Amino acid sequence: MIVPKNSYRLQDRNLNFEVADDFDFNNSSTCYYLRGGNGFGKTSFLEKIVIPALKVANRQYLYIGQDIRTQLYTLRALLSMQGHKISDTDEYELLKIWVHQGQTARTFIMDEFDKYFPDYHFIFDWSRSFIQNYIIVTHQHLQPARTGAEGLEATHVIFELIGFDGQFKNVRVRKESYDNVKV
Amino acid sequence: MRIYNLASLLEQYGDQFFILEFNHLFVASSIREEVWLLQRKNDLALIDRIIQQAAGFNLLEVDADRDFETYSGGQKAILGCLLTLELIRARGIEGLNVLLSNILDSISDDNRVKLMQLFEKIHSSHHIRLFAQKSNQLQEIFSENDRT
Repeated sequence: MIVPKNSYRLQDRNLNFEVADDFDFNNSSTCYYLRGGNGFGKTSFLEKIVIPALKVANRQYLYIGQDIRTQLYTLRALLSMQGHKISDTDEYELLKIWVHQGQTARTFIMDEFDKYFPDYHFIFDWSRSFIQNYIIVTHQHLQPARTGAEGLEATHVIFELIGFDGQFKNVRVRKESYDNVKV
Repeated sequence: MRIYNLASLLEQYGDQFFILEFNHLFVASSIREEVWLLQRKNDLALIDRIIQQAAGFNLLEVDADRDFETYSGGQKAILGCLLTLELIRARGIEGLNVLLSNILDSISDDNRVKLMQLFEKIHSSHHIRLFAQKSNQLQEIFSENDRT
């Protein structure tokens, strides 16, 4: 599955994206780190472009959204109904059970997960055997040149505001070499 | 529990702090409604100041009546902080302890710097102390001792 470089208009989000590079989810094992200003459409890019493309390609994914608490409440209820004894289980264990149940997924998306778990490398440990691509939205100052996970390449993606016509924001989405990533 | 629990956050800090929590920033659904609830009037001057300040954060599409749910998470965090700062000014509140919970990690680097500059100003002018949670620890960003 490839999200090709192209122009994308999100009418309901008042966003125009100029995606300057292809995003290849087929042939590489990559962790994409998405960074950019507030309101530049990182989450919209995930929810309106990447995830629909994953669905069309019938490529399963795991997604931890920004409002992780609501998701965890739902997860707790779901796992309870499946017979797991999770009443005293903390979030870490809860996520572990969920990830282990998601072994048909090939893409793992985390939107600002690092603000709750700054050291989130355990996600790679749990999922690297079956996940090919990770997409991580982050505002952390320092992101790694390497992911630390075996065979997983780090690719930095920057969202830049290039225009505003009073209604729509024009945002360029491009890959950025690590040397240019602000640290 | 690694991820905060709202009840325990309030139990632990509710008596001492004005808490701005990323997932519970607003009671109402727009800036105008929020200001109306807090000021008990349609305070147009305050609303205008919030919108003007927001433009400085590249929040160019802010509108008094726009539903908060149509903003991004980081934009909502910035608007929550701007609303708080402007209310402190408008009401002449002094000596408040403000706790930011999951706010700063939701904001881009450049906007974080701008926001800290605004908090530093209000810290100096209104004796506001600012705290944030870092790795589950409470960290004081501006204390009374370093007030200029």
